[in-house]
Amino acid sequence: MLTGAFEVIWYIAASFLISLFAIPFGLLTKGIDRKLAAHMQWRVGPPVWQPFWDVKKLFQKETIVPEDAISWLYNAAPILCLASTVTILLYIPLGPFPPILEGHGDVILILYLLTIPSLAMVAGGFASSSPFASVGAQREMVLMMSYEFPLAATVIALVWKISSLYPQEAAFSLTAFARHPIWNIMGPFGIVGAIVLLIVLLLVTTGEITKVPFDIAEAETEIAEGVFVEYSGRNLGLFYLADAVKTVVMSALIVAIFFPYNLSPLLTPNISIPSWGWAIVDFLFFLLKLEIVIFFCMTFIRVSVARFRVDQVVKVYWGYLTLASLLALILIALDVML
Amino acid sequence: MSEHTYSIPVGPLHPAIHEPITLKIDVEGEEIVGVDVFCSQVHRGIEWLGMNRNNPIQNIYLAERVCGICNVCHPFCMVQAVEDASGIYPPERADYIRAIMAELERIHSHLLWAGVAAHEIGFDTVFHYTWALREKVMDLIEYLTGNRVTKAIMMVGGVRRDISEEGKKKIKEGMQYYLEKFAKIEDIYLNDPTIKMRTRDIGVLTREDALRLCAVGPLARASGVPKDVRQDFPYGAYADYGVKAITPDTYNGEIHADVFDRIIVRLLEVKQSVDIIKWAVDNLPSGPILAEKNLVKLKMLLKKAEGEGIGRVEAPRGEDIHYVRLEKGKDPYLSWKIRAPTYNNVLPWIPMLLGGQIADVPIVAASTDPCMSCLNRVTVVDEKGRKYEITKEYMHELSVKKTRRLMRNANRSF
Amino acid sequence: MMFFEVLKLLFKKPFTNKFPVKYAPKNTLGLIEKVQKGEVKINPPVDTPPGFRGKLEYDIDECVGCGLCAQVCPSHAIELVKDKNWVIMHCKDGAKLAAPLKIRIYVSRCIFCAQCVDVCPRKCLKMSDEFLLANEDKLAEDLIIPGP
Repeated sequence: MLTGAFEVIWYIAASFLISLFAIPFGLLTKGIDRKLAAHMQWRVGPPVWQPFWDVKKLFQKETIVPEDAISWLYNAAPILCLASTVTILLYIPLGPFPPILEGHGDVILILYLLTIPSLAMVAGGFASSSPFASVGAQREMVLMMSYEFPLAATVIALVWKISSLYPQEAAFSLTAFARHPIWNIMGPFGIVGAIVLLIVLLLVTTGEITKVPFDIAEAETEIAEGVFVEYSGRNLGLFYLADAVKTVVMSALIVAIFFPYNLSPLLTPNISIPSWGWAIVDFLFFLLKLEIVIFFCMTFIRVSVARFRVDQVVKVYWGYLTLASLLALILIALDVML
Repeated sequence: MSEHTYSIPVGPLHPAIHEPITLKIDVEGEEIVGVDVFCSQVHRGIEWLGMNRNNPIQNIYLAERVCGICNVCHPFCMVQAVEDASGIYPPERADYIRAIMAELERIHSHLLWAGVAAHEIGFDTVFHYTWALREKVMDLIEYLTGNRVTKAIMMVGGVRRDISEEGKKKIKEGMQYYLEKFAKIEDIYLNDPTIKMRTRDIGVLTREDALRLCAVGPLARASGVPKDVRQDFPYGAYADYGVKAITPDTYNGEIHADVFDRIIVRLLEVKQSVDIIKWAVDNLPSGPILAEKNLVKLKMLLKKAEGEGIGRVEAPRGEDIHYVRLEKGKDPYLSWKIRAPTYNNVLPWIPMLLGGQIADVPIVAASTDPCMSCLNRVTVVDEKGRKYEITKEYMHELSVKKTRRLMRNANRSF
Repeated sequence: MMFFEVLKLLFKKPFTNKFPVKYAPKNTLGLIEKVQKGEVKINPPVDTPPGFRGKLEYDIDECVGCGLCAQVCPSHAIELVKDKNWVIMHCKDGAKLAAPLKIRIYVSRCIFCAQCVDVCPRKCLKMSDEFLLANEDKLAEDLIIPGP
């Protein structure tokens, strides 16, 4: 009984701790992204701390609720969006630290949780009773449905491989990925398949965090920020934070699946520092990996292509990326059989 | 209108359209099933000022401010009309300098348009890149005229600033820069697959529609109508050069009449402008730049002049027409009418948008390079709280009345 | 494809001219004060060409008050005012010779067309290369020529 109570308190405290890490880090990532994107566009760009000033400003501004809006849903949507995004982070290992809710959920749960922020955005969009927000919400749903399949296919292909090699493991848990890094267990076919899956997952991430070319739900020049068109002040600030945290979540997921390596096993024989020191080194290395993943799935893609139309987005996800992930699945199947 | 249809208001303020105009779009899902355009959200009374407050010299700078980007073609067009009416014709050197200025403006306007078009399809890198390349022509304009944007170079019967030998050298350097960079711009716009995805077969304006709706400028040319005032009714130095209207089939032999073709036409026109400028600098005749150097005398001449004149200029957006009527003994014009190219190019929006998607609205609207402050001439009347729109029949009746009145007055004076 | 182009640009110096400082300062007036004290160095603006049309310069002693500039000014930025210090000079033949009028230029209305410079018979108006004219108050002291 007492341990139960302790567990609950620990979960609450850990959620706080993880928000304290994820929100500032997400904002910093946004700042770095903006700075790098600006340099790739041949301009200077804002200071790295700009997102912090943006959020500060948004939280000081008046929050306006449109007259025709369903106000409770309209106000609840941003909170739901941020809360659910932070929740996902509780299931993902952060570098050297295992997930806080280890053993309570697996990758399948994460896949389902990932839809909740999008659903919250859709709900907020419909609740704000603006034609632009309605179009944006419809587009968000289309987008959500289109990237779901490649995402699931990616995860299942990898899990299949792990479960075939280590039938005793709980294959769907992310710690299994961490124990058996996929690059180590794959044969030549499997490596090719895994590279394809990595690219698919990077492109799915771009859609998941709604950036160009898949930012059809926000599309500034078409539907004036879509679902967010009526949002202002604190509510918009919360959506902004949720977006920042979601970037961290998606990149942490990719890192956990594809690059679960730590520096410490490599360097321990040579350098001797206390174990908490290694934890810090590994954590910093994890942050570096996150930034690199974010650079490729967000910054680099969004500066080098134009925004797609809705039908083109569906074609890319349901057509090319689904085909690519199925191809990778076949390659990995070959790898398992040989 | 089925029950699945609902309408989206694009404008009067919308990030896709940078100036006030309203598009009421009926959509079924993402597909556009109905379009209606409401113009005249800004009316500045420019013609009224020219007819009531200003003298012809002041009007030149007023005409320059009809549009921020076409600030050579509007005064160019207006001084042509005034010259036509008063018989004060510019010397040859002035004609050439005017042509150089107009072509510099075309380069800067088309590059600006290309950047905006890239922004409309969410390709901000190309937008910043193109605008960075555009800086060179802006610097050149600043060197030649004294300011980056408003050039203030036109004067009735000539131009206000000469091009020195140093200036000629700078122009040639600048043109060389654009010839070098042109390959890169062409590569970005015409070979990038995502730009092609968003613009190919989007916003198609058939040749028939272009002719029926009197489209002008690059919009008409991209639909395969070789229509260019510089070619059809050459003015100034263009008569010596012999401009040929550019249609997309000169690039790849086919006409799709879509947004991509408009990109092709505009980019090729940049190259054409570079050629014209190089030719004009090489063949710049010597002589005076003003027909009447003394401004005070010029002002008196214009006050004494009587008659009417028309100016036609190929602006970057299409054909621009100014009509001016001068009256003896009065400073302001008796009448002044501007017909800016966007006036013709707004109606083609409807056939271009129908059947498209919401996502196409910004790029299709931008593909005509709309300029609302050029366009708006008539406004909704709000008389003592009673709002009414002026119908076509009423306008027709009014103009018939006015024509009769003018004819009566004219008969009296002769 | 822009993929390689953007990577190339990433390692290129930004095209932007960082005038006056790289990032927007928190306090603009504070920045100006610091620059005046010499604590902060600002990046210079792009040089203006020789024929630049900037803020007007007015030589009040040369002006004869003919008012031509006010007649051609498109934006009605020039106002004719009575000269406070004018004296009537009595000529030998009894005629009075003096310039009772001077002009006042409201720079906030000026559109920098330089038409007044062209028309001035005494050449007492000139375009300088000063272009930093932004001000909260359109009737500020330095936006009215001649100053008090």
